[in-house]
Amino acid sequence: MTWTHRDRILAALNHEEPDRVPIDFGGAEFTTITLAGYERLKKYLGVTTPTEPMSIIHSVAHPAEEILERFGVDTRNVQPGAYEGGRDHWIDDNSYVDIFGVLWKRTEKDVDQHFLHKDGPFYEGKLTVEAVDAHDWPDGRNPGLAKGVKERVAEIKAKGDHAICLYLPGGVIHRGYAMRGFEAYLKDLYKRPEALQLLMDKLCDFWCDTAETVIAAAGPENVDIIYFGEDLGTQDGCMFDPDAIYSRYLKPRHRRMVETVKGLTNGKAKVCFHCCGSAYHFIPHLIEIGVDALNPVQVTAKDMQPERLKAEFGDKLTFWGGINTQRILPFGTPDEVAAETRHIIDVLGKGGGYILNSVHNIQAEVPPENIVAMFETGVKHAYH
Amino acid sequence: MAIQDIYNAVMAYEEDDVAELVQAEVDAGTDVNVILNQGMIAALDEIGEKFSKGTLFVPEMLMAAEAMQAGLNILRPLLANSGAKPVGTVILGTVKGDLHDIGKNLVGMMLEGAGFRLIDLGTDVDPENFITAAQENDADIIALSGLLTTSMPEMEMAVAIVQEANRTRNLNVKVMVGGPPINQDFADKIGADGYGMDAPSAVETARSFVRI
Repeated sequence: MTWTHRDRILAALNHEEPDRVPIDFGGAEFTTITLAGYERLKKYLGVTTPTEPMSIIHSVAHPAEEILERFGVDTRNVQPGAYEGGRDHWIDDNSYVDIFGVLWKRTEKDVDQHFLHKDGPFYEGKLTVEAVDAHDWPDGRNPGLAKGVKERVAEIKAKGDHAICLYLPGGVIHRGYAMRGFEAYLKDLYKRPEALQLLMDKLCDFWCDTAETVIAAAGPENVDIIYFGEDLGTQDGCMFDPDAIYSRYLKPRHRRMVETVKGLTNGKAKVCFHCCGSAYHFIPHLIEIGVDALNPVQVTAKDMQPERLKAEFGDKLTFWGGINTQRILPFGTPDEVAAETRHIIDVLGKGGGYILNSVHNIQAEVPPENIVAMFETGVKHAYH
Repeated sequence: MAIQDIYNAVMAYEEDDVAELVQAEVDAGTDVNVILNQGMIAALDEIGEKFSKGTLFVPEMLMAAEAMQAGLNILRPLLANSGAKPVGTVILGTVKGDLHDIGKNLVGMMLEGAGFRLIDLGTDVDPENFITAAQENDADIIALSGLLTTSMPEMEMAVAIVQEANRTRNLNVKVMVGGPPINQDFADKIGADGYGMDAPSAVETARSFVRI
């Protein structure tokens, strides 16, 4: 048979071996490349198409179609349009207030130019049910969120048969950190669980309503993958207790999100969950709530050795990512990158269940030769 | 017995109880160093050990540090008046070009909890500012943090500038580094004196520099 891009991705997600390893680049905001890295790559490849940012806040690019074609990329990104009604605004080039009332900032000197949250509506004082309830929440049915989605899907369909990856930003943890502050949110898990759970529910409502708005615009039958997620791990372990905290407070919301998008696509779409760091102790929970794939598989974090992950979870979970961004991709030679890519494909890709991508976004200092080496190794990697 | 209550209150993350119990001990005339070392530092050490083992997590560490702070707020002026010296002075910050501070802040809390005097310069810190702060505060240690792989060259440069100042500018500090992309090999390669894999091990490294 002749394999289409979409066939390849779906085979991997169904734990079957395609003709070659499927490849993602730019399917979502955490599987792409930083704006600075992208400029280097464009120059190296001789690409002059103007850069289209995927997110100014995360300082990442939408790779141009000609680059995706050159690298044999099997996915294409779709994401919500911009919220309408003027809730968000720029203060200056380095300060932005989003639709949740969160202030994002960067400095001119930032190496990678991405923004971090510096203030939010619940940063000060104690979090209360009344304050969360009284907040002016954005609406996931805002028509701006659907804008351009139908056209983007039609454009992808017209150009070829790629797997459509719908990226739905946000969740209940990271947006919560942004609104409440990282440390306060984590302490509220113990000290103010009632108010914090209401905050989570408001964020979950917004996400699920957004999913409904965007999936309706895309056409439920066109969506192959829903990509979302948030970090549960750190480099060296779990951010919070996987059982006492994750199971009790966060997992029910994540379950609702997964079930919502599966319901909206009549069970057809696969769910890819993004979780940086050491995800190991959370993986059984994610499998239980219906997650099909895990990104970015941070192989340098604790308990994240690819051999171990494949042996323990490979029959139930597809791994998406895994090419070492903390060591080999930035600091290795193209030959080392190719060898590492082959190794990861051999380990994680056995019997399908693997989609090639770097661990998180390709950073600014990664030599373009190494990016090319990673993708070319993937394209050449035949299963049969 | 009452010292054990302070220890227990830190372990239970009860900052109000810690403040109350510490004040009661102070009023009863207990040596402030005993309250600090046996009540609070001992508790935070145990929290750190459990964190490194993976049986406690970030929220618990934050809450324990907050409970500890409630006690430290009472003890600090008394410790200053008693003429007791801090364990050591640490200048802490995230290197130039990097705005990430979650890990750095955890390290700062644990260092303060271990009795160090902490001067936190924040994020995106110029190497010269570390040196100036170290000179002004007669510091023992400069601790550099970074999350981005792109800021690793900044860290290398900052270590080189500080070590150069140690040789030529009458500075006498140890330099330690940490952050997700950093490991012992990188720390050795760039000439750092020490490395902390996580916040509790950063405290261990700092302690080794001031020989306690």
